[in-house]
Amino acid sequence: MALAIEKKAVSGWLERLLKLGEVIAPTRTPTGDVLFSNIRSGRDVAWDLPNPLHPPKEFVLPQTDPLVQIKRNGQHHEVEAIHEGRRRFLVNARSCDVKGIAFLTRMHEMEPADASYLRRSNNLTIISLACATPCPSGFCICTDSGPFLSDSYDVQLTDLDKSYLVEVGSAKGEAAVAEAQGLFRKASEDEVSQRKRLEETAKQHFGDQTCHFASAMRRISTGRVPDILWEKMSDWCLKCGGCNVICPTCYCFSVKDLGRDGVWVRCRLRDSCQYAAFTLEASGHNPRPEKKDRMKRRFFHKVSAQYYTRDGAVGCVGCGRCVQVCLGATHMPAVVAAIRKGSWHE
Amino acid sequence: MNDVFLPDLACLTGLCDETPDTRTFRLRFRDSSKVKDFRFLPGQFIELSVFGHGEAPFCIASSPTRPEALETTVRRTGQLTDALHQLGEGNEVGVRGPFGNGFDVAAAEGKDLLFVAGGIGLPPLRSLIWNVLDERSRFGKVTILYGARTPADLVYKRELDEWGKRSDVEFRVTADSAQPGWSGAVGVVPTLFRKVDLRPKTSLAYVCGPPIMIKIVVQDLVALGFKEEAIISTLERMMQCGIGKCNHCAIGHRYVCRDGPVFNYGQIRELVE
Repeated sequence: MALAIEKKAVSGWLERLLKLGEVIAPTRTPTGDVLFSNIRSGRDVAWDLPNPLHPPKEFVLPQTDPLVQIKRNGQHHEVEAIHEGRRRFLVNARSCDVKGIAFLTRMHEMEPADASYLRRSNNLTIISLACATPCPSGFCICTDSGPFLSDSYDVQLTDLDKSYLVEVGSAKGEAAVAEAQGLFRKASEDEVSQRKRLEETAKQHFGDQTCHFASAMRRISTGRVPDILWEKMSDWCLKCGGCNVICPTCYCFSVKDLGRDGVWVRCRLRDSCQYAAFTLEASGHNPRPEKKDRMKRRFFHKVSAQYYTRDGAVGCVGCGRCVQVCLGATHMPAVVAAIRKGSWHE
Repeated sequence: MNDVFLPDLACLTGLCDETPDTRTFRLRFRDSSKVKDFRFLPGQFIELSVFGHGEAPFCIASSPTRPEALETTVRRTGQLTDALHQLGEGNEVGVRGPFGNGFDVAAAEGKDLLFVAGGIGLPPLRSLIWNVLDERSRFGKVTILYGARTPADLVYKRELDEWGKRSDVEFRVTADSAQPGWSGAVGVVPTLFRKVDLRPKTSLAYVCGPPIMIKIVVQDLVALGFKEEAIISTLERMMQCGIGKCNHCAIGHRYVCRDGPVFNYGQIRELVE
């Protein structure tokens, strides 16, 4: 059953959630960047901000993720798993990022399950806002991750001008709504049909940015992308790793002990498959020494049928962030299109 | 749910210098129940922590038939292995594992076994070799061929002597280049193939060593009539987590840490980078 909440009542709902845990939303920094960060008051959510360049994966998979506390005590050591999983509410997230976190959660639920990640994701409730207007570089319609969601959300809001339509998709979502029951009412039939119209309209308004995965998947999965094409595409790549940093589904990592003088924290640090050292062995041997090898790897992991079968989705949520950051224009839609066409800027 | 990154504490209870840069470390878990519960297969590996320096994967070099002596043999070649080599008896390290698939010992039962190792490639095979020798009657003819760049680079020298003296093992050793005092064979490992009774139809061949050695040995074995499925190797890759999450060791959609590190040659040929 769909619910609704008047816009002016939303801040009261968020005030209730602030009493239960952290509330995170896109905010504008004094220097103009838009970032996901903690808000202090229910009135601080600016619903019209663009989606931040950095996805909210930080709140389930921090850049530096403390895993184990290590203390030296004479000859001996004490080791203890670090348990962090504050209750958090992520508000005004976009559909693509909801799907991104759902993807990461599936990866970390695979055996052996990753307790450190799951503690955070289990304590994270996402209240997303469906996209009535697709963003300029987004192509979520090609990855089944927007503009509106039919699954994976805890709470999905749709902007109906004076009110929000409220769809609850999980027990965590139910609990978040139950905190302020008096503020919600049953949605009218008119509101429900308005939401459907908005979704249909949104789907008609995607720009030129599309990404047709099917034929690229076929070619990548069967090794039918010519080596020369990988070479030409990777010539444009500056191996900066920016695509990995801002990708909602990238989760490759390395492990390092940070600290000194007998007190360390073993941390998971995000890594990039585009860096040469990602596969460099102690012997000096590197199985992926060339940029083309590493680009091939990135797109195999994201687009191959082998991974699609394992992961249940392509490793892309169509957010368009790689389109925004890639210095060499070797982002997802460009590479997928080149593989379909069999040529790169010719 | 277990914390998959939490290591168990273990004490270094014995060190043995194998070569100027390679040392065998004997480990004992501090928790006595862990000593009893730690079960592994030859070919599996552990993630070894040197606290403050991180952790890295090393094959278990000792045999599951001798659970009291958990050993790993490590060449000093980077910051973590350098720190490990600084440690002495009584010092503490962390251990996670065992990880990986390991060798299928049951599948080797009744077969003739050929072990071909190069340099620092012997440690993972040593685990299986001692497993086989400790249960000698389960297996057919056992042939061990081992080579290194120089005689000084041979590891487990006392054990090599022991294998050489056993009547139930055919053991040959060679060095790529001789040194004064070396009376053994000179030449790369495949030159030993001519000197032994290979039995390709009834054998499983276990091959481990540097990539170039593996390539040449496998080519020769195939030419001599070994089936691809009968040639078994352990792959090496940069690894971080050991549990198929970090993606460093992925080849295609396979993970060396979880689907391997033991693969037969038919499987290796299907792995696409």
